[in-house]
Amino acid sequence: MKLLIEAIGFGIATGAVIALGAVGFSVQFGISNVLNITYGSMMTLAAFVGYAFLQLNLNVWLVMAVTSVIVAVASVVFNRLLLEPLKRRGTSFVGVIIATVSAGIVLQYVIVAFVGATAHSFGQQSGRTVSALDFVFTTSQLIIIGTTVVLMVGLHVLLTGTKIGRAMRATSTNRTVARACGIRTERIIDFTWLLSGALCGAAGVALAITTVSFDFTLGSSFLIYMIAAAVLGGIGQPYGAMVGGLVVGIASQIAGAYWSPAYQDVIAFVILIIMLLVRPRGLFSTGTANRRLANA
Amino acid sequence: MYLGTDLLATWGLNLEFGVAGVANFAYIALVAAGAYTYAVLTLGSSSANGAFQSYILGSRLPIVVALLAAMAVAGLLGCLIGATGLKRLRQDYQAMIMLVVSIMATTVIGADQAIVNGQAGLSLIPNPLASLNGSARAWTYVGLVAGVCVVAYLFLRRFTRGPLGRSLRAMRDDEDAAVAIGKNVVAMRLMVQGVGGAYAGLSGALLAGFIGGWSPSSWQYVETLALLTAIIVGGIGNDGGVFLGTVIVPVLILQGVQFLPQIASQPGLVEDLGWIILGVLTIAFIFVRSQGIVPERRPGQRRSGTTAPLALAAGSSGGTVAARADTGAGAEEHAPSDAPRLAAWSVAARTREPGRPPGDAAPGDDVLAVSDLVRTFGGVRAVDGASFSVRRGSITGLIGPNGAGKSTVLGIVSGFVPASSGSVRFDGENVTEVAAFRRARRGLVRTFQLPHEFGRLTTIENLLAAVPGQRGESAMSVVLGTRYWRSEERRLTERAGQLLEMFAMSEKAHDLARELSGGQKRMLEVMRALMVEPKLLLLDEPMAGLSPMLSERLEHVCSQMRSAGMSILFVEHELGAVERLCDHVVVMAQGSVLSQGTMADLRSNKEVQDAYIVG
Repeated sequence: MKLLIEAIGFGIATGAVIALGAVGFSVQFGISNVLNITYGSMMTLAAFVGYAFLQLNLNVWLVMAVTSVIVAVASVVFNRLLLEPLKRRGTSFVGVIIATVSAGIVLQYVIVAFVGATAHSFGQQSGRTVSALDFVFTTSQLIIIGTTVVLMVGLHVLLTGTKIGRAMRATSTNRTVARACGIRTERIIDFTWLLSGALCGAAGVALAITTVSFDFTLGSSFLIYMIAAAVLGGIGQPYGAMVGGLVVGIASQIAGAYWSPAYQDVIAFVILIIMLLVRPRGLFSTGTANRRLANA
Repeated sequence: MYLGTDLLATWGLNLEFGVAGVANFAYIALVAAGAYTYAVLTLGSSSANGAFQSYILGSRLPIVVALLAAMAVAGLLGCLIGATGLKRLRQDYQAMIMLVVSIMATTVIGADQAIVNGQAGLSLIPNPLASLNGSARAWTYVGLVAGVCVVAYLFLRRFTRGPLGRSLRAMRDDEDAAVAIGKNVVAMRLMVQGVGGAYAGLSGALLAGFIGGWSPSSWQYVETLALLTAIIVGGIGNDGGVFLGTVIVPVLILQGVQFLPQIASQPGLVEDLGWIILGVLTIAFIFVRSQGIVPERRPGQRRSGTTAPLALAAGSSGGTVAARADTGAGAEEHAPSDAPRLAAWSVAARTREPGRPPGDAAPGDDVLAVSDLVRTFGGVRAVDGASFSVRRGSITGLIGPNGAGKSTVLGIVSGFVPASSGSVRFDGENVTEVAAFRRARRGLVRTFQLPHEFGRLTTIENLLAAVPGQRGESAMSVVLGTRYWRSEERRLTERAGQLLEMFAMSEKAHDLARELSGGQKRMLEVMRALMVEPKLLLLDEPMAGLSPMLSERLEHVCSQMRSAGMSILFVEHELGAVERLCDHVVVMAQGSVLSQGTMADLRSNKEVQDAYIVG
């Protein structure tokens, strides 16, 4: 029983980080219709940018905020320089995916060239712990969980309740028509990448904080969890990504505790494949936009 | 050496990705499957290698058996992975599945100690030429691999050239259209993934035998990217181009960087550089020359100076190319004739029962009868109890306001849209549950409202690809080679030539279909359907967007086809054409049949006027 509780507690903490990354990925994929494999390497970039700032003796949460901004800008630039021109040329889905995989690899190895292949650490593992019911969390885990929840709610309100959110959804459904209706789609797309880039940056730093040590494969090896969570919750759904993150996080921790740590990833994989084959639009998606996403 | 094994792999992947359009991002996992199968089957029991490695099999099978097993295992796995693509997900979702499969395969294998020794991998895998020593062994091995490559290339040619390759490329360019002309795309895709997988397995097995070791680090998912880059750089869909790409990418770049001097302070940096170059190269090629250094060329294809073919571009881009008036060399092979030679047109033989003149069908002889068709989309009843029939040898019009359900009915009749309830009887048989491609083969052929051309095939190839059950498309053609299908191909080419003449498009025979104008693409669509020799042709708004001259030509052909015994169901808004052509007209409104009769009857019908003609 204690083992189970520990696993769930750990799962919640991991799940929060997964959710943070997954929601950015999900919104990016949902609005821009690009399966961006570079996302993983962007998270790695965030972790190392954060690491560099941490060497200046800044507060770790300030580092997270600053890194988010930097990665957000990098993400917009990436989209403008690579993906938009490709789309304008009418490159197929597969062509764009190959391009993002390539870009991810380039970024990953450029990072290696700068920092080397050795393991780094934020050294945030120790610190005060808080226990409630039989759960034990470190304060940094709690802050990450809190941040994730706040961002998620905010994003949901933004997408469903505001004018810009409506414009984003309109743009994702049909960009040409959206432009014809007077929406400045270029700005909306930029905004989407800014937003998802910021989440990517925050998630990268959060991941670096919660793992003992990390190297240049940090983000790309984490990508599969985020994709699983995003698909589970339904692409483009912030709440869905949150629930998906928690499910994937807890399920993989339980599998790790009771079965073998080596098979942790397998759970995420199994969830993902089952979802894609059975209900590709995700558990919580009701909208027609996502039905369209899955068949076409 | 690496060139050889990489070649096997890139050729296999090119068959899947370049020719058949299946983007298999998990391809390297199949290479690995071959390597592991080979290793596990050839390794002896654990005693020989000490305690650091253990095997459950230790069977020491002969090398040749192990190679074949490696091919079989990888081929079967390829089919299995291919089966995930059967659920029709959007391309990027499929790519996602493949990527994840690849990543997870490394993880799962890395976690398995019993058979494949986890992350450490297997070592001391027997070399097939263990009896030789040193450099003699290495060079003989290179010779062996070269020999295998030559055989593999000759075998591959039978897949990628000729009618089979043409059909595969047709599927790549437009899957719906391939189904509409009776191609079994499921079987084709599984076959391609099986063969591609077998190539991967062979490549992996030979590699493992040469290196002597194999572990998860040798087949990270990025290796698939290296193979894809080779294809993109060399030329998608072109085996020769892929050869060049393989020389450049995995061999010159990834192996080549290892010969650069190492930088002492940062070991491994030079290898990393190889990956950076590779990634940049891929992106650069997608941008600048997405068709590769040696682009795919179709037989007889005319060199087009006006538009650069975008090999990675999405299917249809709308006709833009100006009609070029210069002579098409290939098109003039067919003897010119004044009148379209319908006598030679074999549709008559297939459609008309012996002894029965056209247009004189017995009463109640319906080629098509639909009854009580219902189709709901969510809460919307798009088709709501429609019943009507099409007389054999007649042209029946299907008209009605927008949203009446005409196109959905056409979709249900052709098998593209499943009916919620009701039945479709074609030629006396209930075909409601029959797969779309089978209906096409039985002679129930549709066209699409928007042009669905096979863009990267030439016009005449679009027509040739449409013939169902041709010899050159069968598995036998791979075994027996060109001799088996050459004479049939000549006959078909002649028939296609006649059709092109009828539609006055002989000049365009060797142009790529995507370079045709919008109107020409529509003509192509009708011609392609005719190549299937339909008993009943379903035309979905064929006149839309045609110039008066072209639509007149199309009308003319339709009535000629009717005289030859073909039946046509004709969805159209252009009522003039409907009136001139159709023997019988069915009016639909709000999902059901409102009225039917001759156009003259309908014009006087108040209800029809209210619903449609007046507006």
